[in-house]
Amino acid sequence: MQDPGRTLASHVRDHSARLAVACTECGACYRACPMVPRTPPLADAAPEAVMAGIRDILRDGGGTPEAIAFAGACTRSGVCSAACPEQLDAAFLMRLASLRVRGALGDPPRVAPKHDAGWSARVKAFARLTMNQEEQATWL
Amino acid sequence: MAVTADANVTFWYGCNMTRHGEIVRLVTQMLEAVGVAAAPAGGPGYCCGSPQESNARIAAGMAARTVEKFNAAGRETVVTWCPSCHMNMDDFMAPVTEAAFETQHITQLLAARAERLRPLLIQPVAARVLLHAHHGFHGRVPVNTDVPMLLGMIPGLTVLDHPLRVPGHMCSAIAAVPGELARAHRETLAAIDEGGADTLVTVFHSCHREAVALERGRPIRVVNWIHLLAEAMGLPYTDDYKLWRNAADVRGIVGADRIAAAGDLAFERLVEPELRRPPAV
Repeated sequence: MQDPGRTLASHVRDHSARLAVACTECGACYRACPMVPRTPPLADAAPEAVMAGIRDILRDGGGTPEAIAFAGACTRSGVCSAACPEQLDAAFLMRLASLRVRGALGDPPRVAPKHDAGWSARVKAFARLTMNQEEQATWL
Repeated sequence: MAVTADANVTFWYGCNMTRHGEIVRLVTQMLEAVGVAAAPAGGPGYCCGSPQESNARIAAGMAARTVEKFNAAGRETVVTWCPSCHMNMDDFMAPVTEAAFETQHITQLLAARAERLRPLLIQPVAARVLLHAHHGFHGRVPVNTDVPMLLGMIPGLTVLDHPLRVPGHMCSAIAAVPGELARAHRETLAAIDEGGADTLVTVFHSCHREAVALERGRPIRVVNWIHLLAEAMGLPYTDDYKLWRNAADVRGIVGADRIAAAGDLAFERLVEPELRRPPAV
């Protein structure tokens, strides 16, 4: 049974704090990430220092430019979780950091938020193209 | 076909799957064939909040509404298709809004019923297929082993054992990173050549809508894994999205009636630019 006062923001904050405490900044997740070699601002970054910045972001801090770039580069490959020697859900940790640098909790975004202004209208337009009226009435 | 009355599971197909109505239809037919009556639900009215993830307050409202609608439907299981929806339900939706259902991915459900599916796969499908596999989501749900297992039951079909793993959990994740979708496609085409494949099999919708354009000028076929299972079961379908995306005359092949149904302005501004987009390679 959930806490009735629980919100998505409190959920994000609680798990951010939990994972920030558990992370040891060893950098194993960073080394395993397939996006690191594809993210130019991370070319000379030290894995441990980047993860210290990620922990700072999870603790409501400003992070470092490299940590912000790493959080912004996350494409949810998930190989970080398998690499974590502490068996943390590193993919979830990075997801939380990624949401936070995009301003999910009301802070100014440090990475451009993903936003598709035409998303809902486009989804509905395609539904009218590929589904009959009965399907639209019952499936949407 | 719009089965819902006696459904015992909800098939939550997500939002962007409205491009692929035939896959929603085929999945529903397949589930029925293995003893599961499914009621499809998706589109913006069943959003996981992902499109508004940069604003937790808005995303939470969308997610809560979806969980409450699933609770009200009273079905014990929500079968997911989209990996983003599935992970959001596990990570953010159900932990915040109490869910009166369990969540299972479509690959898990069909894999669990593989022995009921196997005797239905009677039509040979002569194909040597490469799976368009991503790193992501497999750690949560073993899609990169379950899908090849299911496809391997199709007579006449060979699934290549290839180490190709594209970053991200599906192509929409990497499409936002400059150059990455093209890189992924080049690596995929190289793997096709290396393995001598004639068919590229997508797992997820966002990969499918980009990969179908790779058919242009190449002797390969791009299909979703559901399409191949359907062919083996003798279920007819047309991949309209692929036809439209690869047509020289997009408006001609979609047809005036369908364009009118979508709305002329919506088609022109929201649909046509996507269908006319060149392949990323």
